[in-house]
Amino acid sequence: MTLIKFKLNGIDCEIESDPSLRLLDVLRNHFKLTGPKEGCGEGECGACAVLLDGKIVNSCITPLANVHMKEVTTIEGYRETNKYQVLKEAMEFENGFQCGICTPGMMIAAESLLSKNPHPTEEEVRIGISGNLCRCTGYNMIVKAVLRASKKGEGIW
Amino acid sequence: MKDISTSIPKMDADDKISGRALYVDDYPFDDLYHAKTLRSTKAKAKIKNIHIPELPDDYFVVDKFDVPHSNVVKMIFEDWPVFANDIVNYIGEPILLICGRDKTIIDSILNQIIVEYEDLEPTFHYVKSVIHKGFVKGDLNQAFQEAIHLIEYTYETGYQEQAYIEPQGFVAYLEDENKVTLIGSMQCPYYVKNAVIDTLGCKEDEVRVIQPAVGGAFGGKEEFPSVMACQLAVAVKKIKHPIKMIYEREEDMLVTTKRHPSKIILKASIDMLNHITGIKAHVSLDSGAYIGLSGVVLSRAMIAVTDAYTINHLDVTGDVYETNTVPNGAFRGFGAPQMIFAIEMFMNHIAKKLKVNPLQFRLEHLAHQGDLTSTSGVFRDPIIMKPMIEKAMEISGYQEKYQKNEQNNNFKGIGMSWFLHGCGFTGSGESKHIHAKVKLRKDEHDHIYLLVAAVDMGQGAKTSLSKIVAQTLELPMSDVSFDYPDTDFITDSGPTVASRTTMIVGGLLARAAQQMKDTWKPHEEMVVTMNYEQPDYIVWDEDTLRGDAYPAYSWGVNIVEVEVSPITYQVTIKNIWSVYDIGKAIDEKMALGQADGGISQGVAYGYLEVMEHKQGKIRQKNMTDYIIPTSVDMANTKTVIMDNPYALGPYGAKGIGELTLVGGAPAVALAIEQAIKREVHQIPATPEYIMELMNHDID
Amino acid sequence: MVNHVIPNTYLDALRYLSDQTFKVIAGGTDLMIQKRGTRETPPNFDSNMLYCFNLKELNYVHKEKLHIHIGSMTPLEVLLHHQDIPEIMKQVIAEMASPAIRNVATLSGNIANASPAGDSLLSLYLLNAEIVLESLNGKRVLPIDQVITGPRQTVISKDEIIKEIIIENPKFSKIQWTKVGGRRADAISKISCLSAVQIKNNKVIDFRLTLGAVYKTVIRSREIESKCIGLTLDQLKENKNTILSLYEGLIQPIDDQRSNRIYRKKVALNIIEKWIADL
Repeated sequence: MTLIKFKLNGIDCEIESDPSLRLLDVLRNHFKLTGPKEGCGEGECGACAVLLDGKIVNSCITPLANVHMKEVTTIEGYRETNKYQVLKEAMEFENGFQCGICTPGMMIAAESLLSKNPHPTEEEVRIGISGNLCRCTGYNMIVKAVLRASKKGEGIW
Repeated sequence: MKDISTSIPKMDADDKISGRALYVDDYPFDDLYHAKTLRSTKAKAKIKNIHIPELPDDYFVVDKFDVPHSNVVKMIFEDWPVFANDIVNYIGEPILLICGRDKTIIDSILNQIIVEYEDLEPTFHYVKSVIHKGFVKGDLNQAFQEAIHLIEYTYETGYQEQAYIEPQGFVAYLEDENKVTLIGSMQCPYYVKNAVIDTLGCKEDEVRVIQPAVGGAFGGKEEFPSVMACQLAVAVKKIKHPIKMIYEREEDMLVTTKRHPSKIILKASIDMLNHITGIKAHVSLDSGAYIGLSGVVLSRAMIAVTDAYTINHLDVTGDVYETNTVPNGAFRGFGAPQMIFAIEMFMNHIAKKLKVNPLQFRLEHLAHQGDLTSTSGVFRDPIIMKPMIEKAMEISGYQEKYQKNEQNNNFKGIGMSWFLHGCGFTGSGESKHIHAKVKLRKDEHDHIYLLVAAVDMGQGAKTSLSKIVAQTLELPMSDVSFDYPDTDFITDSGPTVASRTTMIVGGLLARAAQQMKDTWKPHEEMVVTMNYEQPDYIVWDEDTLRGDAYPAYSWGVNIVEVEVSPITYQVTIKNIWSVYDIGKAIDEKMALGQADGGISQGVAYGYLEVMEHKQGKIRQKNMTDYIIPTSVDMANTKTVIMDNPYALGPYGAKGIGELTLVGGAPAVALAIEQAIKREVHQIPATPEYIMELMNHDID
Repeated sequence: MVNHVIPNTYLDALRYLSDQTFKVIAGGTDLMIQKRGTRETPPNFDSNMLYCFNLKELNYVHKEKLHIHIGSMTPLEVLLHHQDIPEIMKQVIAEMASPAIRNVATLSGNIANASPAGDSLLSLYLLNAEIVLESLNGKRVLPIDQVITGPRQTVISKDEIIKEIIIENPKFSKIQWTKVGGRRADAISKISCLSAVQIKNNKVIDFRLTLGAVYKTVIRSREIESKCIGLTLDQLKENKNTILSLYEGLIQPIDDQRSNRIYRKKVALNIIEKWIADL
């Protein structure tokens, strides 16, 4: 058992835990967050994606040890921000979601991209979400939503 | 009044984008037990003995001996056991559940169980027919006798895995001593409810099924959830404690239903005007170990034999072959994608053989209003395929690109597919089996509630059905609610399958809303129900497969442009154009979203998605090995929806759910053919297959 | 009962390694998948684990005149955007996995995993990478092809950690990277080929070619390359078929759930042929 300290959605946390636990399980079972989901368990589908120090990672293959002294943001934290509002409106306008299971992960991927590259090209958006699988939308409306958000959110990212 | 097609914000936007939507794995429960399945490791064997270690306190085995009434899962054809009987018929067949609190301990127990098998001889390939069907139209023998040419080809299609991002899962708990409640990822709450009632042998009000948010389904959650639900219902009655069972991704890929692999043999008689006078067809489907709904898949595949064309003489037969592999089932298209691939390639291959222009050749056979369908029904409604084809060719620059690619060895190709999809259940399903009923309730605040069983699995049923009701009642959307189905409060409007939700359920809701409007009592409770009535001119004979197989048809054109690398044989999808006739879009953006998603799956079925088995063991069993498109694999799409209102559909709407998938594979296969100058006879047309074709000079 | 330790400093990490047997885990993208259990259960780690990803002292890129030193815990995504990382390595990294994986994957993790299909390894072989292995007892510096000895096999000792990767930074006239996966992202390579030439006055003065996923380890043959060096461009092209048959002798691909050996061999040779023909 190790004391793991990290910031979760802006709040300082400490948990005494087996550091090999999957971050996904700690978020869902210990912190009762439901945004990150298990779609594949092998870091392939991105439904479990969260931000680690602002960058997208797959929480299903992140050991808790690796978030020690870092900041973790899930959709629950992200949805309190202005950037989320801009992205959300764009997703609604462009119909960028259908069943919604990949959507929290897509939002995380979009934030990870836009915070590094506020004015991405279409190709860069596609690469930015290339680790998030979607079976419903064929991706194009999600890409349009991210491009729209980057335009509408001038100065935010 | 506003045009209903004008897009509105979807009702579930807030929940889904914010991550607040609760899928089955998200529901908070105090103190849940978990269940995991022990599965057969043999393709076919007799179970001689099962050695179960001594179980710790509070851990349970649940198996066939615990089933109170019927160890068969109720579905269209009832041969699927809840728990395996003495003989296991596929690798992965469920034998028993281990239930308990700690998953690690459950895993450890499962690892210690020893099953003694006596090996039996498994069957693979198209050998053991368990269902045979046939229908005829006109006089094929005559047509063949008089033929100038007889041309025959064989086409094969592989598995396709639905690969919904949310794996299958259920939670079961006892509401009181006698009532079992199930929450699960599903398409058909009443399929689940009725299967559980049958397995438990209990009363109708002793089972409750609640739909949570569903993370994709595509047919994969049509009949399979009933299997899980029956197992958990038996378990929860035994251990009297809430149980959750969510499949691992690999488990889901290995043991849940997939699209039926097929082999289709087509033979055509050609007259001296280079016209197809008749087609003899045989469809073989691999159903896996149990039949389930394979018979209906076979029917749909056979009925799709002439696709968007009219051929006067037909002899169509089909067989469902049982093999010792995972049972196959519903997947968007339901037999049509297999057949439409075959017939579209066939039309082009015949044209090539006759040395005639394929476009011209196909146009000459295009169906017209008033023509007899493949099953000697009638295309009663206007068909606008000609303008749709023209539109598709215009927006894609098809003719110019086609000519350029034909004349050059540029490894580029453009392919066009034409197709239809029958809306609603095949044949007499709606009137004989489903008996759809809808219910609308108005409370004293004049708020409207839709009480139907339609499941929104991403296609937007929550919004589209609410929109139909709101528009009819001339109310704002905020006055209408459609909560996820809960069988304690709704009526059985039928399963969310077969492209029936907008047309049939939406149609009934429109009529119910109209009735509510006509009899409106302000500030008073009102309940209106409406039952499905088959229009009496729709006549269908299930035994001879003759008559109107569907009340209406939606139509489509897909054009796919590809580049093939002569070095790696990989295919790059450059562009996709589509034109659809779905009667009328209930919401344009939602329809375009369905179009994007459907074509992505259809095209990938044609060139990308590979699933094979070796002696009954599936080789591609996770998201790494089973390849579905990522955002960088998908091309830009341009889709046009052309109105062609259907008199009996709500606001003229027909079906859309499956239409947008069924044409993708032939469009991409035809494009690949042009790029590599070789004929494609099987899908997926992988780089490995393309390399084989290109390294053979003669086909 | 396994020990899990998050060392505070690099020196602490070395001390732990000298004290007990630990498996070093970096980003975890290989180990967490290889050892994973079922849903909601932790990975089945069967050895002591030393979590080194957070060691800031190992996260750096230092450029010198002829070499670049890369700290073992530097994520691939950082390398992808770093001004001092050669273009040839960036091209390889850009097509690896996904952004989420690249944010925590490391070259050292790829080396320790020693997969026959590991894309980044091709750039290490081609750039004559030297791997700095350190323990409390000292340092040793080995060329990459001496570190990896087979699939999942390395010479890294129990008490050693990969400290640094040193790569050359040569000038090339032309580079080529072809990754053949099942799709254009998130794909394990069926075949991969990274090559580079330096041509001056119509003469080949440097010729390097690496192949991945077609043998137990990355293929790089100095022997074949030395036959190419010194030739004129025309001579190189004339000898194309000889060169191809020499590479063919080294390629030993397998059949698996992703592809088959006929395809892998043919495509590998196609890539090499095109590379030479296009020079």
